[in-house]
Amino acid sequence: MSQAQHDAHDGHGDHGSPFIQHHFDDGQHQFDTGKLGIWFFLVQEILFFSALFVAYILYRNHHPEIFAYAHHYLDVKWGAINTAVLIVSSLTAAWSVRAAQLNQQKLLVGLLAATIACAFGFLGIKYVEYTHKIHEGILFGNRFDPCVSSGGEALPNKKNHCHGVKSSVVWDAKTKAAAKGCLEGDFDQDPAMARIQASCEVAEVTFQGTGAKRVEQSRRSIVACDTTPLEGKTGWAARRPRAASSASPCWELINNPWVCPKGPAAMVYYGDHAARGHQIEIEVANCKAAPKPTEPTDVFGDVVRPGGPGQATYVRHEPVSKHELALEVSNGPPPPHTNMFFSIYFAMTGLHGLHVLMGIFVYIWLLIRATKGQFGPAYFGPVDYAALYWHLVDLIWIFLFPLLYLIH
Amino acid sequence: MSTTHDDENTKSYLEVNPGWRNWLVTLDHKRIGMMYLFGILGALLLGGFFALLVRAELFMPGLTFVGKDWYNKFFTLHGAVMVFLVIIPGIPAALGNMILPIQLGAPDVAFPRLNLASFYLWCAGATLLLLAVVLGGVDTGWTFYTPYSLQSQTAVLPAVLGAFLLGFSSIFTGLNFLVTIHKFRPAKMGWFQMPLNVWALYATALMQVLATPVLGITLLLLFVERFIGIGVFDPTLGGDPVLFQHFFWFYSHPAVYIMILPAMGVVSELMTVFCRKPIFGYRFIAYSSVSLALLSFLVWGHHMFVSGQSRLANMVFSALTFSVGIPSAIKVFNWASTLYKGDIRLQTPMLYALSFLILFTIGGLTGIFLAILSVDVQLHDTYFVVAHFHYVMMGSALVAFLGGLHYWWPKVSGRMYPERLGQYCAVGVFVGFNLTFLPQFVMGSRGMPRRYWDYDPEYWHYHQASTIGAFILGISLFIVVCYMMWSFKNGKKASQNPWGGTTLEWSAPTPPTLYNFPEPPELHELYVYDDLVEDEANGNWVRKPASGSRPAGGH
Amino acid sequence: MASDHDKHDDHGHGLAHVASSKTLLGTWITLMFLTVITVTATRIDLGPSYNLALAMAIAVVKATLVLLFFMHLRYDKLFHSVLVAGGILAAALFVGFALMDSSQYQQTIIWDPSHPPLPPFGPIPVP
Repeated sequence: MSQAQHDAHDGHGDHGSPFIQHHFDDGQHQFDTGKLGIWFFLVQEILFFSALFVAYILYRNHHPEIFAYAHHYLDVKWGAINTAVLIVSSLTAAWSVRAAQLNQQKLLVGLLAATIACAFGFLGIKYVEYTHKIHEGILFGNRFDPCVSSGGEALPNKKNHCHGVKSSVVWDAKTKAAAKGCLEGDFDQDPAMARIQASCEVAEVTFQGTGAKRVEQSRRSIVACDTTPLEGKTGWAARRPRAASSASPCWELINNPWVCPKGPAAMVYYGDHAARGHQIEIEVANCKAAPKPTEPTDVFGDVVRPGGPGQATYVRHEPVSKHELALEVSNGPPPPHTNMFFSIYFAMTGLHGLHVLMGIFVYIWLLIRATKGQFGPAYFGPVDYAALYWHLVDLIWIFLFPLLYLIH
Repeated sequence: MSTTHDDENTKSYLEVNPGWRNWLVTLDHKRIGMMYLFGILGALLLGGFFALLVRAELFMPGLTFVGKDWYNKFFTLHGAVMVFLVIIPGIPAALGNMILPIQLGAPDVAFPRLNLASFYLWCAGATLLLLAVVLGGVDTGWTFYTPYSLQSQTAVLPAVLGAFLLGFSSIFTGLNFLVTIHKFRPAKMGWFQMPLNVWALYATALMQVLATPVLGITLLLLFVERFIGIGVFDPTLGGDPVLFQHFFWFYSHPAVYIMILPAMGVVSELMTVFCRKPIFGYRFIAYSSVSLALLSFLVWGHHMFVSGQSRLANMVFSALTFSVGIPSAIKVFNWASTLYKGDIRLQTPMLYALSFLILFTIGGLTGIFLAILSVDVQLHDTYFVVAHFHYVMMGSALVAFLGGLHYWWPKVSGRMYPERLGQYCAVGVFVGFNLTFLPQFVMGSRGMPRRYWDYDPEYWHYHQASTIGAFILGISLFIVVCYMMWSFKNGKKASQNPWGGTTLEWSAPTPPTLYNFPEPPELHELYVYDDLVEDEANGNWVRKPASGSRPAGGH
Repeated sequence: MASDHDKHDDHGHGLAHVASSKTLLGTWITLMFLTVITVTATRIDLGPSYNLALAMAIAVVKATLVLLFFMHLRYDKLFHSVLVAGGILAAALFVGFALMDSSQYQQTIIWDPSHPPLPPFGPIPVP
């Protein structure tokens, strides 16, 4: 319709491009007007995101411990790669404007395609991150039910779909204690050591199907885990219990008061998806403590202090730096309301991701128009305006990345 | 289907490209404004209907015809429909769309397709709000406070989504106006040669673009929280319900200035034309419009004095709220000074403008009373607040909308509305309005809480007076809408300049052609009426031939 | 035509300034470098608030580079920069006032034990 009005009403002189609309004086007027329009739109977008930044700042101010704990769940590597991807896409977007201005049609098409590719790369990485979080139960609101602590320690199962750890302990969320399954009876353990190895005989292993009360005698054998530290790795990755073969589960005796305040418990680790969903109970008997080492073996480097009569000769090493303290905290269970961090994380990255997606649609539209040769020095407004929008998307990520991923 | 060059310059915009299909895909700002007008008047009747249901229930203490659950839904829907569908879009979307480009001598707004998109968003938002009504209503109050809005079993989701879309309609309209005013003024019209209506729309648009996105994100978060439990506002998950209020009022306070500033712009126009003298203090009105827009961002906490906001914030917001009354007061003085020694014509638009002056003074002053922290602690959530905001939102903004509607109706429809009936209805609106809301000030200061369906017998007579006034008001408004619709086809044909205005729309044909001006219009000195004489035969004002040159520009 | 515009800033012809390839590449390299700095800076422990301040400072520098060069604010009308500043100011107001309020929140309201509130707001004094 407007095309017909154009032809009938061309009293404005030569426009140089069929895309100059009739109510503008000329191409320059249209370009300047569009530019002002997109800048007002970007200001509006800044305000749109501002409320989420307000929420972030307020919550972090009030609950720094939640943020310090929870950010370890995020992988800095992916965040940094995403930052780099967006910066590259900003370059290609800015360059595409230059290409249009200089009538470099092939370069323009290539750069627009590159921007779209980078955007897809960003969304792909976000997909990887999000699916990992869904898998591990690290979500917002009521759905925050992680498989591991942020330091990587296994957290007891609360009926989530975590793979890798399934405890023989049934956890009661209300009392925050083991409902059943902790080993009873005394055997010689040093309560000061958080993780102990002992030799026990496996008396009976019970698998209970979810829902059905089927009890089977050890459908497969469960062996004791191998916890010798792995060479070349540190921290949890080095100490992670491993079974002899990856398909079968392994068990380990742990003395973790969060899991079982009364004393030791048996934890089962497995990477076998088929066995997940079963509640496994292990009855062990005739446990004997591992011989006490004469050298300190605590990861932080034990301090050996002679105690008085009747006192333990090994004391827990007190963490000397905030880093070590944070590491110790992060090995424990999440502080209350840690879900708030993820509410904000998903709200901010989700909204940002939506804007990336919308940008992809805009750029695909531009790409199609560019392949038809519609842009050139006389008319490149849409390329310029889309690039400005894209830069804003990049700008927001520039702030999101350190705020969410790089908390110290 | 396409127009010829001649058609564009001779036929009015109403006749060119006829047919409802052409109207629905039009890019013409006047048609878009007219469609908005129909929608907004329809929403006004719907919101008014809910208001009458509320007032009918309150006519007697105890159960009159509905109980508390329906009552909650009625006042919520009344508020949501009126705020989001009528008053916020009201003057900018309907009158502004029709008149702003013509006042600038431009052929259209900067982004006509965005304008149409804004209208479609308004329609989508209206549909969703209607859907919420059909699905049993919403009972959270138009403010959707958490945590109740997270728990309410009513149709909160469509209502919130509808309000979200309406927010974007508002943002895009504001964006369009800002760019139009920057880029589409004629070379000789500098900032201080613009009509004051344009200044008001500019200041409004600034607020629309800066504040409304925050409403957008707030409603989006509320939607997502209800839908998938993201938990930012839910205290059981560690969230903060007062944070919702901060987010909500960061927009909703500037929103009330979005409602009133365009009204002030209209009143500035009406005052000068119907007193036949230049507006007093043009620059003061212009500056105070923009400063009101900017100051409006600093005071939102005065809605939260008793919600658990800290003492420090309470004091800061109370002090800042006093400052926000100053620009409004400047305007009231300027309008009153314009009236002084003016040749006042009491036609319908002027009756509305005078009503505005009185009602806005009352509404604005009572706002200052509420700004006093210690007073607000007593009066919060009472009928005093209800009366205050109805004085400013209805007694001022809606009244000015009606005044502007009557003022520009001849231009945009080519027809005159029935003048005598218009004057009677204007009086009916004034009387009905005061009868409805003056008793509410007294009730509120005596402790009658708001949003209550039942009350102690001591308030009975106030409520009775209020309900009677509401029905008088409702009937008058209904008659106004009826005669406007009637006059569209049957009114007397209007002349080019029936009121003797000096702004550019009165140089355009009545109704305007497709691109507003067949010839580029001549700029005359703004708000100077010496040159205009009325032709008694057809009610048209024409210019005497100019004698000597005059410098252009207002005060 | 490409070589003319390559090295110097372009005013006058065309609808707008053409960014030089040197500017674009230089900005890009600086941004990538600053990203690397941001990540490695987290290894240094300066205490939580200083680490945050440092990360934010680097983010602000990156943002300024994007605004000035990729988004052309350096070469555009000043009004566009005013707009951006205005938007940021509005957002900062929002943050500032909300933070002012929430920083005053207490776990429990601390009454002055020597001047307890009178009934009905406080306990009935024991005679």
